[in-house]
Amino acid sequence: MKNMSVELCGVKLKSPLIAASGTFGFGREYDEFYNISAWGAISVKGLTDEPRVGNPPPRIAETASGILNSVGLQNPGVDAFIRDELPRLVATGVTVIANVAGSTVESYTEAARKLSDSPVAMIELNISCPNVRQGGAQFGASPEEAARVTSAVRGVCSRPLMVKLSPNVTDITAIARAVQDAGADAVSLINTVAGMAIDARARRPALANITGGLSGPAIKPVALRMVWQTAKCLRIPVAGMGGVMTGTDAAEFMIAGATAVMAGTANITDVMAGPRILRELEEFLDENGIEDVNELTGSLILN
Amino acid sequence: MPRDYSARLVFNECIAEDIVELCFELTEAEPWGSAPNPARGPSPLDPFYKKIKRVQGACSLPGFGAEPQGPNPGQFAHLAAPGVFLRRPVSIAGFRQDENIVRFIVGIAGEGTRNLAAKRPGETIKILLPLGNPFPSIPSGRNIWLVSGGLGVAPLLYLAKTLSGTARELRAFMGFSDERSVFGVEEMRELSEMTLDVGGFITDKVSGALASARPDAVFSCGPLPMMGALKKICAARGVPLYVSLEERMGCGVGACLVCACAARGAAGYKRVCRDGPVFDAEEVVIS
Repeated sequence: MKNMSVELCGVKLKSPLIAASGTFGFGREYDEFYNISAWGAISVKGLTDEPRVGNPPPRIAETASGILNSVGLQNPGVDAFIRDELPRLVATGVTVIANVAGSTVESYTEAARKLSDSPVAMIELNISCPNVRQGGAQFGASPEEAARVTSAVRGVCSRPLMVKLSPNVTDITAIARAVQDAGADAVSLINTVAGMAIDARARRPALANITGGLSGPAIKPVALRMVWQTAKCLRIPVAGMGGVMTGTDAAEFMIAGATAVMAGTANITDVMAGPRILRELEEFLDENGIEDVNELTGSLILN
Repeated sequence: MPRDYSARLVFNECIAEDIVELCFELTEAEPWGSAPNPARGPSPLDPFYKKIKRVQGACSLPGFGAEPQGPNPGQFAHLAAPGVFLRRPVSIAGFRQDENIVRFIVGIAGEGTRNLAAKRPGETIKILLPLGNPFPSIPSGRNIWLVSGGLGVAPLLYLAKTLSGTARELRAFMGFSDERSVFGVEEMRELSEMTLDVGGFITDKVSGALASARPDAVFSCGPLPMMGALKKICAARGVPLYVSLEERMGCGVGACLVCACAARGAAGYKRVCRDGPVFDAEEVVIS
């Protein structure tokens, strides 16, 4: 019997597959289609200390092999999440990762402090949302700022802390090392790639926010490169993501060095993506005679 | 419960300029009816609308008697169009429970819808349905008006079919921008007292009719300027108005939050796919 379970900074996951934040809401909608505890974990829609209404529509534009989005962290706030969503989510049996964003160090620490007392298994610090003027990306763009917010949250957070990194930087490994040194237990990458779409006939941006974040297969090569570069220079584990649509995609991220793999945009084009990708990953292991999914992690052959 | 069906195209006909009628047989998922029809023949290739009378009563209606089964008028489906990344949300324009055939009227607006229209009978695609909230169920014996602009008549054709036997008075106001885009007129005329406008403002016709009559509710689908004007007209007469809205969509099930529409007051945004697509016009900002 093959092993699908992995351990991500002390949290045991029944599979390496995690639903990526922002594509899965609080699990409520997908739970109507299948048992969401099929996922190793789910990372919930980005939470801020105070509720946010998000950006005006249109918030999505289709691209070649991907989508641009500019939702802008619409969420009911941490208190409402803990009160109205978390009990139901925990009752499904799924491992819950709380994705946290903020506009100031204090708003990050306040949200993380509240979540530390809740039954979430892990906190994912979002310092990379490209769609709000203040809400993360400014913290994710320099090693010093990334370390500052990570260190502050570390001080109030009793849960394992994963930091979600932006690809919109010159050297992602410098940011990754900085958050590792500031106390992060893991990093997840990549968040969306900053992008833009234009309606040529109207001569207007396709998104009301003008720019957005690109996701889907279009960014997979960028993501694989960054996961590979980052994983080989860190002591802490990496959760890899960016255009994971199939079980083979997930295997590629693990081979590049990821301990766990997140799938996001796949949920948007295929409501059954979670159980399908998991089944495909199991089939990949069977076809290649692999007994333990952990064997994949960092197994890239270079010569 | 919505399901992601394998759907086999059984009918494809161009019914107006850049508008196609597509009918799919839903397979590989549990059928809605209690048992599949054993007498199913090769008939699905006949035009869907010619068969509507034959199945009168076969589709259980919202709010009447039995638990609604299958998609209800106002709900939509998420169609996996070939060659494009995202699914395409399309309102449901008809449903035959006895044969699990769902009908769509699709405007060809870009690559995705063009590729859908190029599908041939016998080919299959994935279709997630039914999604969203239907038009509210109405007790029998009421006066109901339907107001459409262009392609917006598609969900109202299905609604008219379910209301035609039970409403006391069913009136339809159909507006089109030009002669080449007109469709569904004969079908709507059989189901309702129909007023057609081509090239003008259908809301002027509604406004005129409201001077001497007052419906119990108005149901509408069409361009935002038309529905915005209709909202003012209905509000002035105190007539309840329900609108079916459209927005660029992602997941279609309410999780990704991209299909936002502004809620009235300071209530932020509603999800068109999950909180709609049918809204009480007073709930939302139509602009």
